[in-house]
This record gives sequence, structure tokens and C-alpha cells, in this order.
Amino acid sequence: MSTQRSRFEFDPGFEDDRLRVAWYAVVGVLVAVGAYATYLRLTGGMASTNLTSIVPWGAWVAFYIYFVGLSAGAFLVSTMANVFEVEGMHRIDREALFAAIISMAVALLFVWIDLGRMDRMYFPFIWRQLTSALSWEVHAYVAYIGILVTELYFSMRIDLARVAERTSGLRERFYAALALGRLDTSEESQAFDQRWLKRAGIVGIPLAIFMVHGGTGVLFAVSKARPYWNSGLFPVIFVVSALLSGTALVMMIYVLRTRLFDGDSVDPDLLDRLAQLLIGFIIVDAALTAIETFIAIASLHPHEIETWQVIMYGPMSWSFWWFMIGFSWVFPMVLLSKRSWRRTPSVMVLAGLSVVIGIIAVRFNIVVPAQVMPVMEGLPHGSYFPTLVEWGTSVGMIGVGLLLYTLGAETLPLTPLSGGDHE
Amino acid sequence: MGYLFGSHPGQTVLVSPFPPGSVYVYVYEFPDQPAGAAPTARRRDDWQRVVAMSTADDGDTLPGIPNVGKADLDAMVENERPDPREELADVEADTDLGVSMAEDAQSVARGEISGDEYWEKYDEAAAEEFGDAYRETPNPAVDAGDQTVSTETAESLSCAVGSMDTVSTETAQVDDGEGGIGTGGEKWGMVIDLQKCVGCDSCTVACKSENRTPPGVSYNVVMEEEHGEFPNVTRTNVPRPCMQCDNPPCVQVCPVSATYKMDDGVVNIDYDRCIGCRYCNIACPYGARYFDFGENYDDEVEGAGEITSPEYGVDRGSREEGKSPIGNIRKCSFCTHRLERGEEPACVETCVGDARNMGDLENPDSDVAQMADSSRAFQLKEDEGTDPNVYYLK
Repeated sequence: MSTQRSRFEFDPGFEDDRLRVAWYAVVGVLVAVGAYATYLRLTGGMASTNLTSIVPWGAWVAFYIYFVGLSAGAFLVSTMANVFEVEGMHRIDREALFAAIISMAVALLFVWIDLGRMDRMYFPFIWRQLTSALSWEVHAYVAYIGILVTELYFSMRIDLARVAERTSGLRERFYAALALGRLDTSEESQAFDQRWLKRAGIVGIPLAIFMVHGGTGVLFAVSKARPYWNSGLFPVIFVVSALLSGTALVMMIYVLRTRLFDGDSVDPDLLDRLAQLLIGFIIVDAALTAIETFIAIASLHPHEIETWQVIMYGPMSWSFWWFMIGFSWVFPMVLLSKRSWRRTPSVMVLAGLSVVIGIIAVRFNIVVPAQVMPVMEGLPHGSYFPTLVEWGTSVGMIGVGLLLYTLGAETLPLTPLSGGDHE
Repeated sequence: MGYLFGSHPGQTVLVSPFPPGSVYVYVYEFPDQPAGAAPTARRRDDWQRVVAMSTADDGDTLPGIPNVGKADLDAMVENERPDPREELADVEADTDLGVSMAEDAQSVARGEISGDEYWEKYDEAAAEEFGDAYRETPNPAVDAGDQTVSTETAESLSCAVGSMDTVSTETAQVDDGEGGIGTGGEKWGMVIDLQKCVGCDSCTVACKSENRTPPGVSYNVVMEEEHGEFPNVTRTNVPRPCMQCDNPPCVQVCPVSATYKMDDGVVNIDYDRCIGCRYCNIACPYGARYFDFGENYDDEVEGAGEITSPEYGVDRGSREEGKSPIGNIRKCSFCTHRLERGEEPACVETCVGDARNMGDLENPDSDVAQMADSSRAFQLKEDEGTDPNVYYLK
């Protein structure tokens, strides 16, 4: 054991203390802005939003499905390591799982603040409706978070035990508690963990694809009152764009955390593998969206055509052309096109960031345009742009996510202590 | 400050209409001055209080007021007034008792005797005179919220004690066999004749005042469609309440089953369960659901939120922040609270062209069932499969 002990170096957290202070200051500002906006939201009620009965879903719903997507995508990237055992991916296994958990927590915060009666947020667990996609979804989210936490536990437990072994006092108890007291670092205990990690992953894959994110797509697609959403391809695109954003997120935080926290050099092969994955997802996402658009326009259904006109030429068309097409497809595709760029960490951070921001517009363009068109001729058209309260609360909830992620990254052995792949 | 009321040479009288019970006048004096010069005025008196000016001189002397001959009008009214004894002689009941009750009722109105005294005086005599008919009828002086006699008196009365609302709701549940409102066990349906609709929007207004809906919430709207080009233009007005669908998409999507179909066909919302997720708002193909953002008409009407409608038969008291239905979804309930007491929905009752009809769709003899069966009948968005219980006549 003594030889092993010297092999594992555990020093999570920022390498540079000035960077730590600066980063926490930024996150603190985001959270403070969010806290004030949330105060306005709580006291002013839903009237503090620009939502109406014509456009009842807005920024909060868009961010909610965005973070569910990020989570599902990040989780599926993690399964490449722990279920499909793709070579060289174990390095980012916990990273992806932890990001998936935080994203899901942020997603649920967005759902919560969006409720007209926030005090009744537990009602869906008391009363249900079998035919309601949303009723199923809230249960799927809880089950999914359970799976994510279980997986992260089995993936990280042995390192928690190792850290507990080498520390003392409060820190020892903290890590021992996180390991749920299982402090055995033997080969058998590791094999046990890996077996259960894989099992949880196998349950998690269909849960994430069909229930969590596919289900969130279904939530929209069942709405026959909105022809723009009411298509079978819609939930599939949801899953693909989730994979796209999740992969981009994992790629980005892999580079940043390796550089800024571990002080290691980035593995160019792993980076290239993630980058190629990203290329594949961009192509599938763009192609399926094109098919969906073509079917909608070819149907000559006036509602469909007018909705697409709103998206492409309406007042918010910049979000479609610049963010959706530009930031989530074209710009990252350019950055991913050259092999040497794919192996350059800074370029890949830019590509990842571009996709992660671009997909926000994808989510907004899912939620809002379908509500601009009235459900019946003679009813008024909708228009919507979030208020400062909506932006502020959104920024705050994202800040909470960043804070939780950073705290986790500073304390948990998210990078396997043994280096890369499972020993 | 006041109304320009009239003028005598060199004098202008301004009358200010406040406060109640008195009239104030300003009298200005205009000194003689050359023609064309800017008028200068000097107020002669401070506020002069003129009490009961109109009764004092019958309005004759007030400049600018036409003399309507008040005395003549009074005489005409007196002339038309039936003789109480003659009228009461035609009915079986005791004429003396009737006249005396009527006279004392006027005394109550003038405040000379109290409601309590009145009913204590006549309760026994009325019970004796009218028997069961008196005992079983609610007394209008006894009413929840607007009772004009004391509780002790109300309880001592031998007539049925209870508010008009409760008693009428009970008596409404009598099956008259004709499928009319109040027969019980109906499946409510509405038929709107588009040929009769003139697009006056009074259904929308009646609905808002009946249901006391806040700004941004309108259970009923009239969709106005114009087709064609000038001069060949046609216009259709399509009033749109909640369709009370047989297969309601809103019920389908509600994650907490806060909205559901009732036996009488109405789609209910349980405000105590609704979490305000607005999924039903998204799912409704008719745009019939509205979110209550908590706005009020306080700027327009003082105390606008104090009176609310007992929607779905539940009286929730005054409108307060954080209290349902604020933060909930709302929609037309076919005025369930009115149906329960045997009344038509407000929009049906108010419709100037009698375009809206309410009744039992399951009773083949009812007007609405027959209209809904006619070749002119159609539903909105029939291909959605929602099967609305609101029918339109082409």
C-alpha cells in the first residue's frame, strides 16, 4: 500500500490562487444578481415576467430543457467509458457524471421558479396523471438523478477511500462519509464497484435517452395544438442536440479542469476523440433539423410555414442564424475541421463554448416560436422577450450551478487518482 | 372645479357637485368693461352653501335648468299607482295584513323601524296566513353576506332560514322532465348560432363581470374574422368560451390531475391543487386557458379584488397575493356556480341576439341537443379529436 500511496497525488482545486479568487468573485456576482432577481420574482409573482397567457412558456422553460439536455448529453458521454469501455475515456467519466448531476439540479431550479405556485412543487409526487408527459418526466428526473449519483459513487468510491486513508480528522470523516464507509481499496472492492457502475449505466442509458431527454421532447411533441412541436422526429432531435451540447460541455470542462485544477497537460488523443464525436453529432443534428424543417414546409400547413417564417425572418431571427446555425453548427465545425486544431486545447475550448452557447438559442427557438402563432385564427399573436428579472434569475441559477460544480471540483477526486483508465 | 351653470348679466354661477346632500355655488362678478377686452372676474362670495336648492324653488329659479313640471310628474305617478286595497282584493290572502305589511315595509325602507321589529311583528301572522308556502320560502331579509336582520331574529322566524342562493340551488335540483337548466344529471352543452351573433362582445363583458376575472384573463372572447376584399367583404364573429371537450388535451397533460372532467361535462380546475406549470395552457387547441398573473383592476375600480366569483361552487373570499387562483390557470366553467342554482351562464343570459343556448346535450328533447344535431351544427377544430361540447351553427 505504501508504494501506491506515493503514486496517488491528490490536490484538487485551482492551481492558481489568484484565479480562484477571481473565479469565485465572478460566480459570486452571478449568484448575487440572481438572488436579487429571485427576490423580485418572489415578491412580484409571475407578473415580473414577460410571459402571457398567449406565450405562457419562456426563458425559464428554454433553460430548463437546455440543462436537461446538457445533463443527458454529458451522461451519455460518461457511459462511453463505464458501459461501452471506449479506450481512453475513463479520464472524463466522473467529470461527465458530475457535470450531469449539476446540470440536472440547475434544470430543476428552472422548473421550480417557473411554477405559478412554487410552494406546491412537491404536488406532482402526491397526485399524478398517467397520460401526462410532465407527470412521467418529474419521476424520470428523480430516478435519473438517483442513477447519476449512484454511478458517480461507484466510479469515485475507491478514490474517496484512498483520500480518506491519507487524511485525518474532519477531512477524513468527510471523505469516508462520501464513500459511505466503504473504505476497502482492494482489487475485489474495485471490481465490485465497476460491476455496479456498469449496471447502473445500463439502466441509465435508456432512462436518459427515452425518458429524461426523449421524454422532455415528447412533452412538447404531444402538443397537437402546436404543429411545430407535434412531430415524431422532434424528440429524436432533442436527444441528438442533447448529445451535441453534452459532448461540447464535457470537452470544454475536461480541458479547463485539467489545465486549471490538475495542472496537467491535456491528452490530445482524448481531445481528438471527443472532437470527432462532436463532429458526428453536429452533422446528425443539422441533418435531422433540416429534414424536420423540410417536412414541415412541404406539408404546406399554414401554421408550420408561418412558424418557420417567424424563426427565419421574424424579429428574433438573429438567434436562429447567428446562434443556432452559426454558433452551434458552422463555427464549431470550422474549428473541428483540422486535425491539428482538434488536438489544440484552446481551440477545442472555443469550439465547445460555441456549441454550449449556440444550443441555448436552439432551446429558445424550440420553446418560443411555436407560441407566437395563435392556435386559432382570430386570436392574438404572441410576442416574447424575457424581462430583466427572467434574465437575472437565469444568470443566478447558472451561477449556482457553476458554484456547485467548482466546489465539487475543488474537493472531489474527479480525476482518477490512478491517472487515466481503470487500472 | 365645478360646472358652468348659467349666467346673469355680469355674473357667472359655477356649481360644484360635491359633497353629497349639498350644492355649492361660486358666484363671480364681471365688471362692465369695453367689448373685446379680456374678461376679468372677481369672486363675490366664498363657497355659499345652498341646501336642498331644488326642493326649495322647484328648480324654476335656477338658470339653465328646464322646468320639467315636477308637480305634474308626481301627479301622473300618483294617478298610475294602483290602489293597494283593490289589488289585494283580487288575491285570497288577507287584504288588511297585506296593506299593513306594505306600509310598514316602507317604514323599514325609510329607517323608521328596524328589519328585526318588522319581522318579529309579522312572522306569526304571515305563517298563519300563508302556511307552508311561507315556511318553505327563504326570507329575502336572511341572506349570507347581505342579511338585513339580526341572527337571533333570523333564527326565530318560522320561514325557511337560509340564503336565497342555497335555497335556490336546492330547489333547482328538480327534474322537470324537459331537460332544462336545473334538472340535475345533465351533460351541459352550449350552442352558439353564428347567424345571430352580431359581434357586440357583451358576452365577453358579462363573463368578466360575472366571474370577476383579472386583467389578462377573459374566459370568453369573440374572434372576429374578415374575409374577402372590399367591397366583397364578409365578417364572421366566433365567440369562444371553453369548449368543455369530451377528450380534453388540458386534462391529458396536467401532471397533478388538477384539471378534470366532471360528470356534468364541465372541465373543472382545482385551484387548490394546480401548481401553475401552464402545460394545459400550451396544450389547449382553443387558447381557452389563461394564467392568473395576479394583476388587478385596482387602478380602475377601488376594491376591485374584494368581491370574487364562487367559481366551481367554491367561495374563496377576496383576492389576495399568493392565494389561489393567483398563480393558477383559469378558464370558463360554463358558470358552474350559476348552473347549480338553476341559472344560465352569464354569457347566455346576456346575449342580445339570443345567439347562445345552454342545456342538456344528452336529453334528445332539449333545444341544444336538437340544435347540435342539425345540419348547420359544427365544432371548432373537429379533426383534433377533442369533441367539444360547444357547438356552432353555421
